[in-house]
Amino acid sequence: MGANSAAFAQSLQTWIGAGPLWLWALVSAAAVIFLLALPFGGLATYAERKISADFQDRIGPNRVGPWGLFQIFADLVKMLAKEDFIPKGADRFLFNLAPALVVIGACGAFAVLPLGRQLIGADVNIGILYLFAITTVIAPGLLLGSWGSQNKWSLLGGMRAAAQIVSYEIPVALSILPVVLISGTLQVGLIVDQQGWSWASSAAGTPHFWNLFHNPFCFLSAFLLFVGGLAETNRIPFDLPEAESELVSGFNTEFSGIRFGLYALGEFCDVFVMSAMVTALYLGGWQIPFITLEQFLFPIPSGLIALIQFTVFLLKTLFLVFVVMWLRWTLPRLRVDQLMGLCWKGLVPLALFCVFGTAVWMWVFGGRSIAQLIAGFGG
Amino acid sequence: MSAGLKLVLLGAQALTVVSAILVAFHPNILYASVSLLATFAGVAVLFVYAGADFLAGVQVVVYVGGVTILILFAVMLTQWLYEMRLRDVGVKLLMPCILGVLFFSSLFKVLGGLAAWVLARPPEGLEKFAALPKTEPIGEALLGAYLLPFEAVTVLLLGALVGAVWLARPK
Repeated sequence: MGANSAAFAQSLQTWIGAGPLWLWALVSAAAVIFLLALPFGGLATYAERKISADFQDRIGPNRVGPWGLFQIFADLVKMLAKEDFIPKGADRFLFNLAPALVVIGACGAFAVLPLGRQLIGADVNIGILYLFAITTVIAPGLLLGSWGSQNKWSLLGGMRAAAQIVSYEIPVALSILPVVLISGTLQVGLIVDQQGWSWASSAAGTPHFWNLFHNPFCFLSAFLLFVGGLAETNRIPFDLPEAESELVSGFNTEFSGIRFGLYALGEFCDVFVMSAMVTALYLGGWQIPFITLEQFLFPIPSGLIALIQFTVFLLKTLFLVFVVMWLRWTLPRLRVDQLMGLCWKGLVPLALFCVFGTAVWMWVFGGRSIAQLIAGFGG
Repeated sequence: MSAGLKLVLLGAQALTVVSAILVAFHPNILYASVSLLATFAGVAVLFVYAGADFLAGVQVVVYVGGVTILILFAVMLTQWLYEMRLRDVGVKLLMPCILGVLFFSSLFKVLGGLAAWVLARPPEGLEKFAALPKTEPIGEALLGAYLLPFEAVTVLLLGALVGAVWLARPK
């Protein structure tokens, strides 16, 4: 990956020296799926099983390869080799369309994830809006797939999924807004840039810090975003669409083989995207506290900077993914009425309060963060 | 515009038009609403080509992720979905033809005037205009020149919201 996908496509073209640019743009888009989404999906299934096992004092996968690590490949082969079964009476067109929509929604979001200053697929100026928009494509996918299965459990699960995702989009969008108010842009790269810390420069934005600690309202808002994202990705305690004990397996009951695999991949990618969104917006993305890599004690080569930033971003994101899995064995599932009550009576008013509070903070303190205020009083 | 981009644009236009025709003429109401999904997505791509990035994003959020879901919910509550065939019983020709011609000629006139206005600008200025991010101008227009209509619409939406809560309240 290069500076961005267009530049990457261009460098691919010059490197290979042939072929139209759009072909290489397609290649770099495919690289996102095969280098990021698929490996993460595989590792996440393994991590989910291992972590679940740890929480329940079991061993988990331990037969295939060292620490059962090759279980990923065994699962993949199993999914590919399994009979591709379409139930009698199913709507074949919708049944085929649904997994594709889910994967488009989840993998499309990887294009704007800020994995590092030089590692953003496309740092478009509507970054967050794009991220938010492309993940909404998942909801019609789940609903149509559940309808296409012609199965009452599937349909109940799909209805729940669609209603849940549409409802929780509102608190998620509202808890993104404080960050937009602070940084004045929707561009993900710029938002992460503004959360840096620099001792040297004396620009208006220093010393600045992660948006999480910008003001008290932002601190609350970050948690709201995480909870809303949890509900949008249908994870426990919001896994009503899949609720094994009531709905067999919910919207994916009738799906088998690689179609089920696509659903699972979409779900894990969605969890990653949600965690990455919280990381980029509130946890400073690739920024390391108190350190600016570009102005370090000794000059660091740019390749190494990219690598460090990628690692830092991945560590923060994977920690949040771990929290998601941790919550799975901590909290019981909500009822449908509790789910909607939490959204409309809990999260939405709180998120509105945070937006309003941040706006007032920006007005009263002239856009300065807590860190800037403290530094201002000290010096 | 490179050949590849033109190809994608043609594809998006074809997707929009073909799926819009399917919405109007498909006998199964479920498939009609699914192809509405494709129409909305195609329109979003057209917005991108028009340089309206923010509108493209909003188009996907509101229409693909929101309106389609609501339409699908309503459609799925229909009985005998697969057996039902939508068909106009009494074929009426005169009034639809007159109204259609009137509507499209006025649309053509308005859009033609707009196109003439756009084509009269110097091309290099237009290119610069198209590449600009549209988020800030839209925000400034909504909270500046068009503040009153914007607030009026928000009051309307608030009314709709209150009405929805009143309809759905426990009896």
